[in-house]
Amino acid sequence: MRDVAIIGVGSTQFGRAQWSLLKMMCEASHDAIVDAGIGEKKIDAVYVANMGSARNNRMAGLSSALVDRLNLYPHTVSETIENGPASGASAIKHGLHSVASGFCDLVLVCGGERMQEVNNFEATEFVSYLSHRYAEYVYGVTLPSLAGMFTRLYMERYGLKPEHLAMVAIKNHANGAKNRKAHLRIPITMEGILTGPDALNNNPWIAEPLRFFDCCPVSDGASAVLLAPAEMAKQFKKTPVRIAGMGQATDSQAVQDRPDPTELTAVRMAAERAFAMAKLAPKDIHVAELHDAFTILEIAESEECGFFKKGEGHKALERGETKIGGKLPINPSGGLKSRGHPVGNTGVSQIVELVLQLRGEAGDYQVPNQPQHGFAVNFGGFGNNVVATVLKRGV
Amino acid sequence: MAMTVEAAKCTNCGKVSYPMHFYCPACRGTKFEPVPVEGEGKLITWTRVYALPLDYAVLYTTLGIVELDMGVRATGQLDITEPKTGQRVRAHIGKVREINGKDVTGLVFTAV
Repeated sequence: MRDVAIIGVGSTQFGRAQWSLLKMMCEASHDAIVDAGIGEKKIDAVYVANMGSARNNRMAGLSSALVDRLNLYPHTVSETIENGPASGASAIKHGLHSVASGFCDLVLVCGGERMQEVNNFEATEFVSYLSHRYAEYVYGVTLPSLAGMFTRLYMERYGLKPEHLAMVAIKNHANGAKNRKAHLRIPITMEGILTGPDALNNNPWIAEPLRFFDCCPVSDGASAVLLAPAEMAKQFKKTPVRIAGMGQATDSQAVQDRPDPTELTAVRMAAERAFAMAKLAPKDIHVAELHDAFTILEIAESEECGFFKKGEGHKALERGETKIGGKLPINPSGGLKSRGHPVGNTGVSQIVELVLQLRGEAGDYQVPNQPQHGFAVNFGGFGNNVVATVLKRGV
Repeated sequence: MAMTVEAAKCTNCGKVSYPMHFYCPACRGTKFEPVPVEGEGKLITWTRVYALPLDYAVLYTTLGIVELDMGVRATGQLDITEPKTGQRVRAHIGKVREINGKDVTGLVFTAV
C-alpha cells in the first residue's frame, strides 16, 4: 500500500449559497486544483460527498454532473458517496483507498450540500430520516431531540451545567468570527445567551436542555481536497499533508439500543482505529476538528477520542485548554457551530481546515507553534456512523 | 389503526428485542413471534422538542426513552407535563404522527 497525501484544498463561503449546488462544488474543486498546481496532469477519479441532493435539489448522480461541468469526461472514475453527515470523511476514505491501492494517482474529493433550497421544516425532516424508521422517526424524533435526550443524561451523570454547553458555543463563535468562510461570524457572550436579562429570548429552547445556540446552523457550502501518492506529492506547490490514519465504526441505528446511551462507542472505535493506523496517540495531536453539531458533542467526542478522561472534557474546556493557544485547540475554524454544517460536505471541510492549520496557512485563526498532527471526527446519524482521521504535516 | 407496537420474541432462545433486527441479538436466530410492547417502566431520559419536523401542528412534543419492565427499551411520546428522569411510566397506544394525511399510532407514556 502507498502512503497518500493531500496536495490541494479549496472551499466556498459557507452560509446561504448565492450559487447552485454544482456551481459551489465547481468553485471548491477549482480552488483545490489551483492550490495544488497540478497543471496538465489528469485527475483519475472524482468522489463526491452529499447527503440530500436527490431530495432537496432534485439532482441525483451528482458525481457525473460534477465530472461533466469540470470537463473531466470520459476518462474519470466517479461516484457519489452518501453516508449521512459522515459522507465527507467517507468520500475521503474512498479516495485514500483508491490512491493507496494503486487504482488511481490523482483523486479529487468534493463535498457539497445546498440545504437552504428547502425551508427549515423540510431540512429538519430530511435530516431526521437518519433515525430508526419505526422506533424513532414516527414519534417525531429529530437529530436535535436525540441530542437533547443524550445531553440530559450526560449532564446528570457528569455534573455539566448549561454554562459548559454555552462555553463551547462562545469559544467556537469566537474562532469562527476570524474565519472569513464561516457561516456565523458573530461573537457571542455568556450574558447574551444565558445569564443576561434578554438571554433566554435570544436563545430559546430547541430540544430541552439544548437551546438555539447549542445547535449548528443549516448551511450551504462546498469543499474539496486533491489526493496523490506521497511519493508524487513534492512535485506540487504546497506543503503536503499525509493522511496518516483513518478509522470508522458503525453503532446501532436506534439510540435506545445502546447499553449505555451516554457512550458514543462508534466515536471511540473510529478514533482508536485511526490512531492505530497512524501509530500515534491522542497526546500527539496538536489541533482537532470535532463534529460539534450540538455543543455537547464537542465535549463528549473529546473524551471518547482519548483527549480527556470520560466526564472531564468540560473541565478542560473550563480551563481554556481547547481554545486557540490552549493545550489542544478544538475547532479553531469555528466548527460546525459557527463555520456551519452543510451535512454531506462537513467531513471534507474539516479536513480542509486541518490542512490549512498543518501548513500554517490558517491566518487569523492559526494555532501557534506550527502544529504537526491534526485529528478530525465526522459523526453521522446520532453517532451511528463515525469516521476519524489523523493527518500529519509533510510526507 | 394498529393498536399495538410489536417487539420480537425469538422462537429459538426466547429473547425479546425491540426494535426488531433481522437476526436475534442473543442467538442469531431468524424466527420470531410478535409480542406487544406494553406495561410499566422507568423513564431514562427525555426532551421537549420545539423545532419539529413536518406533519406537526403543535408548539412542541415531548419525547422520552423508557426502560420497560418487560425487558426492552422504547422511545415514545410522553403525555406528562413535568417529566422527571427515573420516574415510573406506563405505555399506551395513541396517535403520534400524521404521514401523508394518515394517522400513525405508537407508544405514548403517562405517569404512573
